[in-house]
Amino acid sequence: MGLGDPGPSSSTNGYPSNTVSVNGNGVVCNGHVATNGTIANGKSNGVHKLHRKSVMRVDLPGTMLYDDDDSFVNREEFVRLVIQSLRDVGYTESAKTLEAESGYLLETQEVAQFRQYILHGHWAKAEVALTRLGVHDEASLLEAKFLISEQKYLELLEANKTTAALYVLRNELAPLDADSDHLHMLSSLIMCSDPDDLRQRASWDGTLGSSRHHLLNNLHRYIPSSVMIPPRRFSTLIQQARLYQRSRCLYHNPPSNSTAFSMYTDHQCNKSALPRLTTTILDGHVDEVWNIEWSHDGSYLASASKDRNVIIWQVPSSHDWTTHLMLKDHPYPVGCLAWSIDDSLLLTSAEHFIKIWNTKTGVCLRTLEDHTETVTALAWLPDGSGFISGGLDRKVVHWDADGKLKESWGVTAIRVTDLAVTPDLTRLVTIGMHHQSLTESSAPPRPPGDHAIYGPGGGGGIGPSTAPRSSNNRLIVYDLATKQVLTSVRMEGELTSVKISQNSQFALINHSPDEIHLWDLKAGRLARKFAGQRQGRHVIRSCFGGIDGNFIVSGSEDGKVYLWHRDTGALLEVLPGHGEGSVNSVAWNPRHERMFASCSDDFTIRIWEPMMSETADESLTDAGGASMAEGFDKGKDRSRQQEQHWNVDPATNHSGVSGIDGASS
Amino acid sequence: MGMSYRRYLTGERIYGCSKCKTHLAALHSMVSRAFNGQHGRAYLFKFVVNVIEGEPNDRPMTTGNHTVRDIFCCKCGTTLGWKYDRAYEPSQKYKEGMFILERNLLVDVQ
Repeated sequence: MGLGDPGPSSSTNGYPSNTVSVNGNGVVCNGHVATNGTIANGKSNGVHKLHRKSVMRVDLPGTMLYDDDDSFVNREEFVRLVIQSLRDVGYTESAKTLEAESGYLLETQEVAQFRQYILHGHWAKAEVALTRLGVHDEASLLEAKFLISEQKYLELLEANKTTAALYVLRNELAPLDADSDHLHMLSSLIMCSDPDDLRQRASWDGTLGSSRHHLLNNLHRYIPSSVMIPPRRFSTLIQQARLYQRSRCLYHNPPSNSTAFSMYTDHQCNKSALPRLTTTILDGHVDEVWNIEWSHDGSYLASASKDRNVIIWQVPSSHDWTTHLMLKDHPYPVGCLAWSIDDSLLLTSAEHFIKIWNTKTGVCLRTLEDHTETVTALAWLPDGSGFISGGLDRKVVHWDADGKLKESWGVTAIRVTDLAVTPDLTRLVTIGMHHQSLTESSAPPRPPGDHAIYGPGGGGGIGPSTAPRSSNNRLIVYDLATKQVLTSVRMEGELTSVKISQNSQFALINHSPDEIHLWDLKAGRLARKFAGQRQGRHVIRSCFGGIDGNFIVSGSEDGKVYLWHRDTGALLEVLPGHGEGSVNSVAWNPRHERMFASCSDDFTIRIWEPMMSETADESLTDAGGASMAEGFDKGKDRSRQQEQHWNVDPATNHSGVSGIDGASS
Repeated sequence: MGMSYRRYLTGERIYGCSKCKTHLAALHSMVSRAFNGQHGRAYLFKFVVNVIEGEPNDRPMTTGNHTVRDIFCCKCGTTLGWKYDRAYEPSQKYKEGMFILERNLLVDVQ
């Protein structure tokens, strides 16, 4: 094969461009090839030519890419990864040239052959090749052989060659397998009615699918990586660098992930893109505003007030914010809000009443009175099938979307002060006051063996409250399907708010006094604390915000809004602006990642956004209202791209950056 | 004032507001049953919860002059009794800071 048009890499040395002689497998055909990927060709100092019409080989001293720094980048590894990348994208001639010029091969002929054996289903040859590829450890060899035989077995079954499959099962798989459950599963597949059934039950996509590639990827585990380089290795490394840089970027909140990351420079977001400027003050309530909640499409904000009203505000498409609806007729101050998944309904709660409102017409569709004490939490199930309410009466109730009682969970161990359902629909996370016979007196006697930690005395919300507050509060995590308690943890101080990260891993819990805890639900441990905000007597709420839930924001009894970087716990901003009293709740817009809202005892709601003229995004430089709206729409689109990006390649979330990663979906 | 939940008491016997069942006081913080209010028998408690205090004013009582404040249920607003801010008679000083709840306005709750 000749290289008619010389590529740039083959002529960079100024030598006449030559072709590289390579066989079909991409391995230099002249001479033997060493298993470490180096051409076993004559060594000489300096530059010399390979035989025949070849590229000049460059011999470099040492083994490092750069010998004058200590980055410890091994030259051979580096070059082989480059070759792999070039081949992956189709720059095969450049790859060949680089192999010739460097003397390093992507892989040996053995590896290339092994790959072909697997992809073409030459199972016996593949098994024999394993030892030649450096799989010497007995256990590894058995496991690798098992994987190959398993594929062989499934393919035979798929081809309806039951007898041959049985032979493989008895003579190859059975002697190898240590896990009898797995073997039983495999043998049960013989009963499958047709290939479709087989593929579904085995979670296997068939001979013609990607199963052989999948097998190859699994076999990588047993073959030394220097012999057979894991797929797309360079890209994986760069992805890790990207995640690392992102985790270090305190102000990370770009409208789009892809454009914000360049390999040319270390990634760093501009602080000015952070929403820290009040752009709107919503003034419509006539008493303290206790809670706020964005609609899922990000275009409406509902606010709940002590004035017994709920206002639904419309995010402006051009000019000013407007009142979309005023939901009156609550018999008591309103504490909770929850938009249905499609935003057509809004739940509100006032004391023990729950109301269901049509968000188009403002009509109250139902009033639910099953709770006997204050309803403290309303949470829609992520599949939209219904919602769950929790209250100080220790009831957790499951309702269908129309407000028909589906199931009451019975009396829980705690008076629920907040609850949340994980987005993956697996868990219900509740917080509250543990119900037990702790006596309330000036010196509460402790039950034997009970190591209760008592919160600060006094300071009760209402009335004289001369009694000290014994705090015996708990986080209880339930399996949503079975209602089993998965975790029950005693926590210090009063618990007033719980939110769950998008990836269902973390619960964000507000505590008095003055702490917010990030609780790792999977590991069952405290992951991080956020400190600075004031919280002693009131129900103060916090939330995740921004791209990938990168920020934590909370209200505070000092009237300020606190903003932290989630992964480092660094306090980024303390935002003044609200008047006298507490900032009771905050909510980050789920669509416009650069906008959040806060509500306060000062009767108002503040909308926080970046200073538009300084944002990194060029399209947002005009501070006019119209361009703001345009910016929002773009943000919306980008956020969707973002989601898709993560959905397509969830593996990128796991590629090994230390610290807490990814509240991304 | 901010949002706060009502307090809940635990113990063998809890007294609540007869109208809305809001927790008010526990038996173990009761000091005396030998008091009288506007509606008959009343109890003296060391601690109560979930009440709102009115303005102080001086009232002559059977045991002498006192500065008291009416107390109201924080949920339904019912007047439940009063709080002693100050007792003028030295023998009555022990009542300062304590609360009277009228028995007829209480129910047992749990």
